[in-house]
Parts: sequence; structure tokens; C-alpha cells
Amino acid sequence: MRRIIDKILKWVTSLYLVWRREFRLVFTDAGVLIFFFLLPTLYPLIYTLIYNPEIVRDIPVAVVDNCRTTASREFTRMTDATEAIKIIGYASNLNEARQWHAQKACYGILVIPEDYEKNIGRGEQSHVIFYSDMGLLIRYRELLSAMTDLSLATGTKIRQELYNTDSQPINSTSIILGDTKQGFASFVIPGILILIIQQSLILGIAMLGGGANERRMRNRGIDPLAVKATATATIIGKALCYFTIYIPLVIYILYFVPVFFNLPNIGNVVDYLLFIVPLVFSSIFFGMIFQRAVSERESSMLIVVFSSVVFLFLSGLTWPRYAMGKLWIWIGNCIPATWGVEGFIRINSNGASLEQNTHPYIMLWILTCCYFLIILFIELLIKFKPKKYHPLRR
Amino acid sequence: MSLFFLSLLNPGLPLKVPTAIIDLDNSTMSRKITRSLSAMETIEITEQATSFNEAMDKVGRGDIFGFFLIPEDFEQEAISNRTPTISYYSNLTYFIPGTLAFKGFKTIAVSTSGNIVLTTLVAEGINPQQVETLLQPIVFQDHPIHNPWTNYSIYLSNSFIPGVIALMILLVTSFSICSELKQGSSIEWLKTANGSILGALIGKLLPHTIIFSIIGIFSQSLLYSYNHFPLHCNPLIMIFAMILFVIATQTFAVFICCLIPNLRLAVSIASLIGILSFSITGFSFPVENMYGAIGIFSYIIPLRYYFLIYVDQALNGLPLFYSRWYFIVLIAIPFVVLPLLHRLKRALLHPVYIP
Repeated sequence: MRRIIDKILKWVTSLYLVWRREFRLVFTDAGVLIFFFLLPTLYPLIYTLIYNPEIVRDIPVAVVDNCRTTASREFTRMTDATEAIKIIGYASNLNEARQWHAQKACYGILVIPEDYEKNIGRGEQSHVIFYSDMGLLIRYRELLSAMTDLSLATGTKIRQELYNTDSQPINSTSIILGDTKQGFASFVIPGILILIIQQSLILGIAMLGGGANERRMRNRGIDPLAVKATATATIIGKALCYFTIYIPLVIYILYFVPVFFNLPNIGNVVDYLLFIVPLVFSSIFFGMIFQRAVSERESSMLIVVFSSVVFLFLSGLTWPRYAMGKLWIWIGNCIPATWGVEGFIRINSNGASLEQNTHPYIMLWILTCCYFLIILFIELLIKFKPKKYHPLRR
Repeated sequence: MSLFFLSLLNPGLPLKVPTAIIDLDNSTMSRKITRSLSAMETIEITEQATSFNEAMDKVGRGDIFGFFLIPEDFEQEAISNRTPTISYYSNLTYFIPGTLAFKGFKTIAVSTSGNIVLTTLVAEGINPQQVETLLQPIVFQDHPIHNPWTNYSIYLSNSFIPGVIALMILLVTSFSICSELKQGSSIEWLKTANGSILGALIGKLLPHTIIFSIIGIFSQSLLYSYNHFPLHCNPLIMIFAMILFVIATQTFAVFICCLIPNLRLAVSIASLIGILSFSITGFSFPVENMYGAIGIFSYIIPLRYYFLIYVDQALNGLPLFYSRWYFIVLIAIPFVVLPLLHRLKRALLHPVYIP
């Protein structure tokens, strides 16, 4: 009995020693400090500043008015009054308008045909034609919805004037959930925040590993700063160290950044902080595995930076996961951020509870366990076959 | 990498958004709405919910991206002119599915309303043909220029693939220049070029230029030839633009190395700019709508000019004249860096590695 207690005590002491040493290593390495502190602090700010205007307003549009009547001018005025569109002027014909488009003076062309007013008066359908530039999807989206709404509204008005009927038998209301402003930052930033947590952890851990590698190279394969401890104590001790460092950062990134920039933040703070715990741990173990795969400090950066773009897509933020192929869904399943993004967005923007996010939450814990076992296996392998995995003998 | 994007975005539009319908009325009319909703191309009714709370819960779980609510006594009120309200909820935290659900719901809401008007007016004795025009006095014809399918992949692949190439160039170039510093071989490197920094750089980077150009042109061929994405200009123009873009991005990386001749910092800055340029060059959110102080940075990034050339030339097929400034900038960027090279040379002659 005593021996067991002794053993546990020894294990806990070595755990503490690893934790303390890792702290020292983190705070004495400028490169690691950049990734653990500077990057998670500044990146969310820069990113949100880029997208913070949220909505595209007053997109320049040219009008080709072939009708030139009160009705057509009225329609033009109404178009100009929409939030999305700003009429820059009347072009005398379509060719002139196209020239304006080529000069980037406008991104849309509204054509009102000759018989516009005549048709309305006769009770026939009038057509308005709209050409929109497809370079940027967000512009097209705004133009399209503005023009659709406008033509519907004008149609209703005309109907009422002509037949004096209360022609709206049904009301319909649209309610936008989550991103109520339909803004760009509100949609993209919450997901990016999770990716920033994951990638900065991986980068920092890879940097630390690279540093240890370089020390080993200079010191005949032995890292003078490593603490003697069992594999489990080393792994858990280090993980706890990173976790401690990330507690204030996570609160800053997930709580303060959305509040600063007035992004959706209707989630329960306790819920999403609890949710994020396995994300941090699985990213840490993922980073440790990655650390074993790369030897040099700088080359690890190249890989992590690249993977960020891939992870962003796999997370389903820009392209929904249900529309991906099986292979990509499976790869996405192995990335902590995929589940992290999914759960955090729902808790933060839709006000869902942790209970509703049981699935991603459990998946994150499963990933944590898997990655822990993998890194444990790798560490034990290195311990028992030190010669084969000697960094000097590569 | 290009293959990754193209296979990921293969369908072009993520149709069949999972949604739900709450039918509290259960009448002929409400069932008809349900049927027309399920016939929509953009949405698919995957769940039946019996209450608002249940549907909201499903949204919170991520099972559905929106739902359509038909209230109790809907048919009765509609026929007796008491104006019932149908409502639809779209979850915009996921932009594309949310928008598609919204679009589908809206279409159905409008056409339902129209159908009822049609029935009542015909009953009142108005000529059915006239009623049809009355339903929609103004028809709005939308012409998305050169992307009539509103294919999302055309837009996203054309902006993200060059972005990834730029990122790769920035990283590889800054890495290969500054790792000479780290390993202390930079003096030797300069010696091989007879002490000329320009010669040394060209000698080192020209093979990269060729490789990256081949990668770039290969990805272009995937886009325009294999996938038949719009290419309304002479292919040579896009190839030329790609080569200019590769060189400009390389010199941009050299510029970073001139300012900060330190391996880790230079690579960090290069990756920071590389990642940020996906956002700041304004192909997701237009530069004109950004804060001025932020948007201004997009003008120094070569990627922006390549993207603008793509929009003008390949997508819109405009005369080359309208893209002249973008080409001029891409050509000019390499020369802007020349006066800074002496800084890099000094650093190369005195390599100090700070771990």
C-alpha cells in the first residue's frame, strides 16, 4: 500500500517538475512566445478589423432607361434607395453601361425596357433586366436580394393601385437566426477563432520540439533541459502547462473578441468554455504528435501554415460538410477544429446548449484520448529504442 | 492542392440543404406547401417537427439549417381573408446553406401567396390570364454575367488556388534565402555569384520561378480546361499573368527578407501576410467596403492584381486595355525591391543566427 502511495507521489512530483520546466522553456523562447501569445492576441483583432464593416452597401449600378417615363424613373429611384445599391447614373445604351462596367465604375446594370410603363398600364407583365458582375459572390448576393425584394414590392404596389384589392392574402415573415445582421464578420470570425486556438497551439508546440531537437543535436542526443520522468508524466505535465497558459487566452479569444466587435455572442459562457477544454487538449496532443514528425523549428511552420487553409475548408465553415465527399468528411473528422468550429458556432451564435452539442463534444474527447494514446505509444517507442530514433543518426 | 479544392467543391453548389417543416395546420393547402417545398432544388426536408421549440432544438443541434412554419388554422384564415402569417427561419451562421434555405423558403412563401390570390381573383371572375400578370406585374430577369449557374466553385477555386500558390511562394522563398543565414552558408552563396547579390538571388530563385510557374499553369489548366470554368480571353494572357504573378510574389518575399534578414521572423511575417492575403485582397469581402486604413494594405499584395486580372480577362473577357494597370503593377513590383537589396547583402555577409 505504501509503495503504491509512494509511487503515486513520485509520479505527481515528476509531473509538477515537468510542468514547471516546460513553463520555463516556454517563457525563455522568443519564437514560442510569439506563437503562444502574440499570434492568438493579434490575429483575431486583425482578422475582425478586415471584415468588421460586415455588410456591402451602396454597390454602384448603372441604369439603362429605355422607357424614360415617370414609372421608370420611379423604379430607378426606388432602386437607388435600397441599402445595397447606389445608382451612379443613366447610360444612354447598353454599350455605354458595359463600358462603365469594364472601367469598374459599376458592378451591375439595370435595363428598363421601352414598354415598361405601357405594360403596367395595360395590366401586362413588364420585365426589368439586371446584369450583375460575378467577380465577387457577396456583391452578387446583395444585388440579387435587393432587386428581388424591390420587384416584389413594386409589383404589390402596382397591383393595389390597379385593382384596389387587398391582394396580400398571406403575410410571410423571414427570421434570420444566428447571424442576424447577415454580416460577413459575424459569420466567418467565430469559426476562425477556433482555428486560431488550434493552429497557434500546434505551432508553439512544434517550435518547442524543434528547440529541444536542436539542443539534443548539440549535446550528443541528450536534452540537458529535459526532466527525468515517466512518459505519462512528461506528456501530461507538458499538456497541463500549455493548458494553463491557454486558459486566459481562450477567455480573451472566445469571450472578449466577439464582445469587442459586436459579433454574435449569445452563448452561455460556461457552456462554451467547458466545450473548448477537449479542443485545447486534443490540439495539444495533436501538436505533440506533429512535433515528433518534424525536426526543424522553421520547417514546422511551413506545414502548419499550409494546413490552416486546408483545415479551414474541412471545418465546413465556407463549404458545408454535408456536401463534401466521404473522404473529406473522414479527414475532417480527425481534426479537432472541425468539431470545435461546429460546436462553438452553435453555442456562441445560435445560443445552443452544451447538451445540444453532445456529439461534437464527445467526438472531441474521443480525439483527445486517441491522440494521447498515439503520442504515448510514440514516446514509449522512442524510450525503448533510443538508438534507432536517435536524431543524430538520421 | 488544386485537386483538393476542386474535388471538395465538386458539386458547385451545395444543393439539398437539410431543413424542416412545422405543419400545425395539416390541411390540403399546408400539405401542398410541404410538397412544393420538397420539390425545391435547393432544399430538402429531412425532418418533421411538431413544434417551434423542437425545430429550434434541431437547429441548435445542427441537424437542420432552417425551417418553415405554417400556423394553425392557416387554410381557414387564408380563404376567409384574415391574413395568416407564415414564417421561415434560416440559420445564417453557416452562410451558404443558410442563404440557400432562405432563398428556397422565400420562393415558396411568395408563390403560395400568389396562388391564393389567383384562386380568389379567378373566383371573382377576372380573366385567369390577366390574373397571372397581376400576380407578378414586374418580372425581374437576373443575368449573372458569365456564371449563369452561380457556381460557387468557379468563384472560390479561382481565388483560393492562386492564394495557396502565393502562400507557398512566400514561404519557400523566404525560407530558402534566410536558411542560408541560419546555416552560415550565405557568404559562400554570395561568393559563387561573384559577390553580386542580384546574381545570387536570380541564380537561387529562377529554378523556383520555373517550378512555381509550372504548378500555376497546371492549376490553370485544371480550372479552365479540365473543369471548363469560364475563360473568355486568350489563354496566353492568363499564363502570362501567372508568370508575372509568380515573379512578383517571389520578389515580395525577397522584400520581406531585405527588411528582416532573420529566418524565423521572415518566415513568420511571410506566413502572416500569406494567410491574411486570403482576406485582405478582397475576394471574399470587397476592398472598397473595408475600413480605409485596412483596405489600403491590399494594394501592396501581388495576389490582388492577379485576381483582378482573372476577373477582367478570364471571367468577363474585357479588352486587355482595361487591365493595363494590374499588369503594370505586377511588372513594376520586382523593380521596387532593387534599391533595398544592399540591406540583404550586408546581412548575408555577416550571418548571425539568433535561436
